[in-house]
Amino acid sequence: MESNKKYWKGLEEYKNTPDFVKNNKDEFAEPLPIEDVLNEAGLSTVTPRRDFLKALGFGLGAVTLAACQTAPIHKSIPYLVKPEEVTPGIPNYYTSSFNGQSILVKTREGRPIKIEPNPNAGEFNVGTDARAQASVLDLYDVSKLKAPVLKNEETTWTKIDSYVKGELAKAQAGGKKIRIVASTVNSPSTNAVLAQFVTKYPAAKLVQYDAVSYTGIIQANQNSFGKAVLPKYNFNKADLILSFGADFLGTWINGEEFTAQYTANRNYRSLEGKKMSRHIQFESGMSLTGTNADTRVPVKLSEEGPALIALYNAITGQALPGGTLGNNATADKVIKLAAKELVQSKGKALVVCGSNDVSTQILVNAINAAIGSYGTTIDLDNPCFLYAGNDAEFNGLVAEMTRGEVGAVLFLNSNPAYDYLDAKKFEAALKNVPAKISFADRADETASLCDAIAINHNYLESWGDANAYEGYYSIVQPTINPVFNSRQAEESLLIWADAPIKEYYQFVRNNWETKMLPALGLTWSDVLEKGVITVPAKPAGAYSFTQSLAQVATAIASSSKALNKDVQLQVYENIPMRDGKNANNAFLQELPDPVSKVTWDNYVALAPKFAESLKVKEFDVVTVKGSNGYSVDLPVLIQPGQAQGTASIALGYGRSKVGKAGNDVGKNAFPFVSFVNGTMQYATTVTITPTGGYYELAQTQTHHSFEGRAVIKEATFKEYLKDASAGNHKGDHKNYDLWDEYEKPGNNWVMAIDLNACTGCGSCVVACNVENNIPVVGRDEVRRRREMHWIRIDRYYSYETPNGDVTKEKEIAKLEDLDHVSVVHQPMLCQHCDHAPCETVCPVLATVHSSDGLNQMAYNRCVGTRYCANNCPYKVRRFNWFNYWNDSRFDNYLNNEFTQLVLNPDVTTRSRGVMEKCSMCVQRIQAGKLKAKIEKRPLKDGDIKMACQEACSANAIIFGDSNDPNSEVSKALRSERIYYVLEEINVKPGIGYMTKIRNTDTTVQA
Amino acid sequence: MSGHNESILREPLITGDNITYAKITDDILSPVENKPNKAWWIGFIVSALGALLWVVAVSYTFWNGIGAWGLNKTVGWAWDITGFVWWVGIGHAGTLISAVLLLFRQNWRNSINRSAEAMTIFAVICAATYVVSHMGRPWLAYWVLPLPNQFGSLWVNFNSPLVWDMFAISTYFSVSLLFWYTGLLPDIATIRDRAVGTRKKIYSIFSFGWTGSVKTWQRFEAVSLILAGISTPLVLSVHTIVSMDFATSVIPGWHTTIFPPYFVAGAIFSGFAMVLTLLLVARKVLGLENYITMFHIESMNKIIILTGSIVGVAYLTEFFIAWYSGSEYEQYAFINRSTGPYWWSYWMMMTCNVISPQLLWFKKIRLSIKATWILSIVVNVGMWFERFVIIVTSLHRDYIPSSWAMFYPTWVDISVFVGSIGLFFTLFLLFLRVLPSIAIAEVKLLLKTASEQAKMKQIKEGHENKEYVAEYIESLEKFDSVKQEDYAKI
Repeated sequence: MESNKKYWKGLEEYKNTPDFVKNNKDEFAEPLPIEDVLNEAGLSTVTPRRDFLKALGFGLGAVTLAACQTAPIHKSIPYLVKPEEVTPGIPNYYTSSFNGQSILVKTREGRPIKIEPNPNAGEFNVGTDARAQASVLDLYDVSKLKAPVLKNEETTWTKIDSYVKGELAKAQAGGKKIRIVASTVNSPSTNAVLAQFVTKYPAAKLVQYDAVSYTGIIQANQNSFGKAVLPKYNFNKADLILSFGADFLGTWINGEEFTAQYTANRNYRSLEGKKMSRHIQFESGMSLTGTNADTRVPVKLSEEGPALIALYNAITGQALPGGTLGNNATADKVIKLAAKELVQSKGKALVVCGSNDVSTQILVNAINAAIGSYGTTIDLDNPCFLYAGNDAEFNGLVAEMTRGEVGAVLFLNSNPAYDYLDAKKFEAALKNVPAKISFADRADETASLCDAIAINHNYLESWGDANAYEGYYSIVQPTINPVFNSRQAEESLLIWADAPIKEYYQFVRNNWETKMLPALGLTWSDVLEKGVITVPAKPAGAYSFTQSLAQVATAIASSSKALNKDVQLQVYENIPMRDGKNANNAFLQELPDPVSKVTWDNYVALAPKFAESLKVKEFDVVTVKGSNGYSVDLPVLIQPGQAQGTASIALGYGRSKVGKAGNDVGKNAFPFVSFVNGTMQYATTVTITPTGGYYELAQTQTHHSFEGRAVIKEATFKEYLKDASAGNHKGDHKNYDLWDEYEKPGNNWVMAIDLNACTGCGSCVVACNVENNIPVVGRDEVRRRREMHWIRIDRYYSYETPNGDVTKEKEIAKLEDLDHVSVVHQPMLCQHCDHAPCETVCPVLATVHSSDGLNQMAYNRCVGTRYCANNCPYKVRRFNWFNYWNDSRFDNYLNNEFTQLVLNPDVTTRSRGVMEKCSMCVQRIQAGKLKAKIEKRPLKDGDIKMACQEACSANAIIFGDSNDPNSEVSKALRSERIYYVLEEINVKPGIGYMTKIRNTDTTVQA
Repeated sequence: MSGHNESILREPLITGDNITYAKITDDILSPVENKPNKAWWIGFIVSALGALLWVVAVSYTFWNGIGAWGLNKTVGWAWDITGFVWWVGIGHAGTLISAVLLLFRQNWRNSINRSAEAMTIFAVICAATYVVSHMGRPWLAYWVLPLPNQFGSLWVNFNSPLVWDMFAISTYFSVSLLFWYTGLLPDIATIRDRAVGTRKKIYSIFSFGWTGSVKTWQRFEAVSLILAGISTPLVLSVHTIVSMDFATSVIPGWHTTIFPPYFVAGAIFSGFAMVLTLLLVARKVLGLENYITMFHIESMNKIIILTGSIVGVAYLTEFFIAWYSGSEYEQYAFINRSTGPYWWSYWMMMTCNVISPQLLWFKKIRLSIKATWILSIVVNVGMWFERFVIIVTSLHRDYIPSSWAMFYPTWVDISVFVGSIGLFFTLFLLFLRVLPSIAIAEVKLLLKTASEQAKMKQIKEGHENKEYVAEYIESLEKFDSVKQEDYAKI
């Protein structure tokens, strides 16, 4: 019920006075003095002091309050629509390809951070090389251009397109040639794009130009068998391998795959089957492959041809002229014995040669045909497409350019202004080309001379495919949105060709769906999932060699004679830098050369005795002057095993426009390359004169002999066959422990490392760097012996003498013959000792033992006394001397927010003053355990893989749980070859090493 | 104690005639109560510049990181821990003099204990600076203390010799400081009684109300004895524990059971050398020849021969054991010490520590102030090299040859060390200005019995055996502060 009560407010209302009645009508009880204020006088009054103070007080207060922002606000924006596949904290893996190899790209929250081999991609797709591991860093390289460039100014794609189209049309109309200079293109889709481009511009042609070329082999096969291809080599089928200067475990064609094939015949599984291949290497410089050879014979470059002739003669009984090795008795002896062995192992032998000379390769073909390699160890019918460059063709192009016949030139993944043998001539020729377009991602040596730089995507941003071998196709798919305003080169070409489909993704997909997939009954998503498809291989045919070798022998003899001067120089690719394309990659720059352990520089490698005769010492700077007049000043590195009278310089250094990390590192050796008989030759003659300067190379290892210590245990294959624990006999002594055993109720993580499988390539080092956010410290810090690598490869030389191997520094100093050096590589990382000396000495318990056998490091607790590192017998602990990852003095790559995106979010970066070391990829162990837990199942052997293990092409690292007697590592650790480094000091290391076995005790003995 | 005569055969501990209690006070307090002379100023300025260098070098290290030093992945300690052990060792003589010699009633210690103890404290301060500055994250240095904390169950590692070290050094510092200060109380009271104005007020605070009553003296003696009792084991324990930083490790050249006694002997050796270095100068500049006599100098030299020889035997024993052990790593470590890349530091150590102190067998050298002073410095150079040899040459080539490396110091390494010497001398020179460099009260105790004039009185009384007197007079020949002609007529 509504109340009828009337409430009155104040007596005025109650009494209803006339005043009240009058005022009640108005809104305000008193009339507002609006008129007074707004009249002229009111507006011109002076503000009273009190009002001023009020306004001031209010204003000040308000401003103060407004300024009181509590903290900087970091907006974390959740997904409005969360992508189905992205879960923060959970990595996604995508298949892709790197240099033709099928890989998996690990991405976290949309950032690619790690490369792994694709396990579905064939028997020998094991591990990746150092370049592949390091390649994620290239994506985050700040030295790249952020937008396309036209006439040295950043521009838009529309402007680039109209410029290029105009120029191409002009060239086409003017009857000028259009040339696309690319390093080998083996992508079917790219080839299809190029075909469309050529249809639009008939004047266009692809010129394949590889900085380091294999034209010699391709043309020799054309000559010998009518097949201009690079064959597929099957090192796994070879019981006997002879290599003449081919670094097939490292840089030659496809070292990563060859390593997998090669070690399959030499690793512990093979040895347990009483089988081991034999490898003889003839070479002048000490290559990674040479260090792994059972018998290695140093030969001069000029002796390589005669050696092959001698071998041919010895095998076939013919008498080709020029096969005398008068001055190299050892080589002569080994050739004769090797010939016998080759004949014995007919059909199971392989001879390879690193030369790019057609004649030499024809002779190698003849030898291989004679020992029945075709159809077994060499497959010409399923060839390799990794290298198809044609040296003469590019040389011809330079001539055409010089003559002004070329209207437009496009550079795709090629940089001749740096890596062509005569860059000056090339640059001069380039000036005669009206339109120069580069697809480089940065203004490199060639791109900076171009009119337009149509910046290409990084491969991790790209679509594409690769066809490394006949019938073997792999996909390239993007793992991140393009970071900069780049556009894929193929897409640019399609746009310029006015192709019907301009989007490259659609193009690649159509190409696969129309050309390849229907025949195999597969779908596009199958390809993306598997990453690779294989068409059944054709049967490898046996080829016989029928041609006359007379001309070949003459050619070989004359080039050998030309080389036979005082100093023969070999320029070669080394493992970290290769052809120099990735020179701005700090991980690679700091990866020590597997043989010399030098980082951040190239150098002149000289044999110890030869250096003495030249009156130079290690690190003396010398001028190396080529027969073509080119000269460089480089420091000397004394390289045991280098052939007398020869010098070696690595290619890939001395870049001037690659970026902060790679500019002016070392000197360019490409100008020493010469063009002889239609191919690039990497051997030449030089003079060496000391400059009197001194330049200390940054080496990660400076003592090279193992002093006869049981750190390395070796035996020969013959001894091993008699007694599997040869070289690994343990005296019976009692152990006494001061400490209690740790209980390991669940897992006990351990490793076994097969010294026979490890080739020393170093891809594990880079893999570990990437996985564990290990800082790159730069040349000066490496010189101070402060590199941070958690895993390193120790490389020891010992010298073969009639009285056995000499391994001690003081005895080596007395040796006369330093040519016959044998090498062992030993990966060394934290041994996760069960009685870890580091753990007892840490005052603050920053390093402790876990219940699953790990020696753990609590960075946050570390105060940095470094006592643990001092007390580590293996010297695997690394100290953060500075704040490497965020200190401008060490800005090799990481001191910017963009590049820091490469960091693995599962691993903390370590600050200055903190100790670190191998954690046994504890983040991977945790992830594996968690996955098993979510799937409600026990951990399986192989669920968890270490970064180093995954990258190892040789399968030399076996990781697992020793509490599981059936795990691979438990089995491996039961091998008679297992020994623990420094087990005599009873620190109980968790990593077992397997004796190095050398297959030397045969009829052939160097 | 002054009620009976001391044997005439004992050499006097205070020389000079007309020595009175007042004169002792005047003589000893003269540097404290007067304006400093030029020599002091020169010394002080040089030392202060050194200390400044230390501040610069340590700040530079803190700002930039330990990378400013020449250390690397293989050699994780070098000049830092060398300097640390060197300074701790030097400190040991002070404690030995003040505590052990007190318990053994070696009265000659009374003239030198004050300065020696001051030296101990300053040396331990210098050593402690290294403990903090060698850390990668020095701002967290307190983590090595077992402090209750809120980080969870974080505790220190009682297995770690560094934790023992922390206890050893802090105990050593606090006990030494207490002992030193207790001894200073009567002397501070003396200064207070003679001072006026603000000075008087300051000294009066620091004298803790010393009255000089019999009860006070009695308690003073009791406390001194108790503290001496506490300090005595420290003489042995501190350097034993420091040696365990090395001895408990697995590194060849470090892992040696001989280290504790060898380190203690080395510490006393270097400590006495440092006392000599300091007092030979102080004695001359401050005119204290009558209180720090040739007898003191010779006694200290004798201790140097003894401890130097112990150290020498230890060096040889190490070599023998390395050979005898049959351990190739141990053998290599020692061969490498003497013939490896750092051979010069090894032979420097051998020459300075083993050969040069043997010169002190010659009385002439033992009694030559110049030779003694030079040898005292040589000994400390040698002792620095000893620690360098142990630390750097053991680490730089240990088990795995691939990691063998060289250590080269940077300017910061050198500056921190040179600077620490500057710091030490700055503190010592300030000490000379504000506190009596000789324990006044304790020296006064000797005046009636063990001084030259007391002995002279004994001779004049004529009750002494003539032969003994002759022997006594003969012993006085070495004293540079004794007027030989006074005895000619006797």
